[in-house]
Amino acid sequence: MRSVILQAINGISLGALLFLLSSGFTLTFGLMRVVNMAYGAYYLLGGYIGLTIARATGSFELAIVGGGLAVVVLGYGVDRFLIRPIGSNHLAQVLLTVGVAFVIGEVCLAIWGGDNLKIPTSAYLRGSIVLPGELYYPKYRFALILFGIFAAISLWLLYHKTQIGAVVRAGVDDREMVNATGINVDRLFVLVSALASFFAGVAGVVGGAFLTLNPGAEWDILVLALVVVIIGGLGSLEGAILGSVIVGLLDAYGRWLLPEFSYFVLFGPMAVLLLFRVTGIFGKEH
Amino acid sequence: MMRLLLAIIALAVVLAVPAFAGEFWTTLLTQIMIFALLALSADLLLGSAGLFSLCQASFFAVAAYTTAILQVRHGVGTLIAAPAGVLAGTLLALVFAFAVRTRGVYFILITLAFGYIVWGVAYRWASFTGGDNGVTNVPLPAIGPLRVTGTTQYYYVVLVVVLLCVWAYRILTASPFGLSLRGIKSSETRMRSLGYDIGRHLYMAFVLAGVFASIAGVLYVYHNRFINPVAGSFPVSVEAVLMAIIGGSGTILGPFIGAGIVLILRNWVSGFFHYYTGMLGIVFIVTVLWAPKGIMGLIARWKSGDRGEGV
Repeated sequence: MRSVILQAINGISLGALLFLLSSGFTLTFGLMRVVNMAYGAYYLLGGYIGLTIARATGSFELAIVGGGLAVVVLGYGVDRFLIRPIGSNHLAQVLLTVGVAFVIGEVCLAIWGGDNLKIPTSAYLRGSIVLPGELYYPKYRFALILFGIFAAISLWLLYHKTQIGAVVRAGVDDREMVNATGINVDRLFVLVSALASFFAGVAGVVGGAFLTLNPGAEWDILVLALVVVIIGGLGSLEGAILGSVIVGLLDAYGRWLLPEFSYFVLFGPMAVLLLFRVTGIFGKEH
Repeated sequence: MMRLLLAIIALAVVLAVPAFAGEFWTTLLTQIMIFALLALSADLLLGSAGLFSLCQASFFAVAAYTTAILQVRHGVGTLIAAPAGVLAGTLLALVFAFAVRTRGVYFILITLAFGYIVWGVAYRWASFTGGDNGVTNVPLPAIGPLRVTGTTQYYYVVLVVVLLCVWAYRILTASPFGLSLRGIKSSETRMRSLGYDIGRHLYMAFVLAGVFASIAGVLYVYHNRFINPVAGSFPVSVEAVLMAIIGGSGTILGPFIGAGIVLILRNWVSGFFHYYTGMLGIVFIVTVLWAPKGIMGLIARWKSGDRGEGV
């Protein structure tokens, strides 16, 4: 029973991290039909830059902001100079962004080496708290859950209650029509993409403090984020929220109950879901 | 006539390679042929049916693991172990082929996730697959008194098998089935309204691509003499697609040219440059931006005298 609860918290905290990464992926896809496989590499790079900042300044908060902003700059360059010229061909987008991810991964390896690195957090986030029933649990993971909830709520409010959000939603539904009403969707996309890159970089820093940063981590996390997006439905924010929690829980319980087949536990339900509902829970035909 | 002459010259050259080129090139060419077959399997889906599969390495790896485990742990002979490998890969393809229910991005993402299942099982189910270390000491193939004893002999084995596969591939793509796949690629709605069963065609194409990938996997395990989860990993799948595209998707020669370029580059670059993956990434980017139709596309453009933006 104790383990069941602990694994549930583990799963939800991983879900919070996955939400940061998958929300960006799903919204940029929804708006511009861009498949960017480099988000995993953005995550890793953001994490490493955060690590360097945290080591230099000793501030975890500064690391989060710095890691996020560094990735915004990179993400803009990739969007503007590499993805935009090739148009809406998904095959080309996937190959191109996989190439970008390979290059980023290699640069990270050259700079930060191949060891498993962890980002030091602030003092108030260390140690553990005691839950009812003598359950000890790391404070950091609780903070992460709160952070994830905060991010989800603010994104949801931005998406559903503001003018910018309304335009983005309209763009997801029918880009040509929004363009025709005189709104510059390309410029809007720069904004959404910057937000997505920022979230990916931030995810790298907060993730790098409890998972480790190492070469290959970019693909591990990207695949989880993709499953979130597939389960939730491409282009749906609600889907990303629900999908993150589901994937986080599946991963935690899978690793605990069936360690040898944990990937199967993760992808099996996804495959079954897709047989009955091709576009995920909240997705639309694209 | 010209083409026939070229084909004969090419065949004579590949037959003569082991005699004058030495062991290094013989081994490299064996590897190129094996990966070209894998690239060809990816291109059966991409070039003919327009489906971008990211799990070809799964069939490749499952076939290789099956053959390796049967040979090493159970002492089963090549006569049974090799077909069993192809069979195992094909069975997996029969299951994964349900991915053709989806299209576009969903198809790409689902095949990617499928690929990760196989990699994850190979990596984590250490009691059966050997985990990270994989299965080692795979013997060279032997059927009864016929034994392969060295790289030169194995080169010819691979050459024969790959040529047979290419022959089958040609028949397949030129058949009514292959033509209807191309029809589906150019317009699914049109083919559907003409009464074709799209789902069944794509399912068949997926399974057949799985068969080719499995054959490549069996050839690979006897060549490499060991197998570990890397063979089933995402980079292998995406590299296979890249090879097909660099060479020229939708052609038979393309995947061979692409495999040659990628593998020769890897061997050459690894000699003096530490960061091979990063360079491969640059190859991806350059190909997509400047040569989306690959080498064969460039040749076709050059032949037709078109110097402008042909894409």
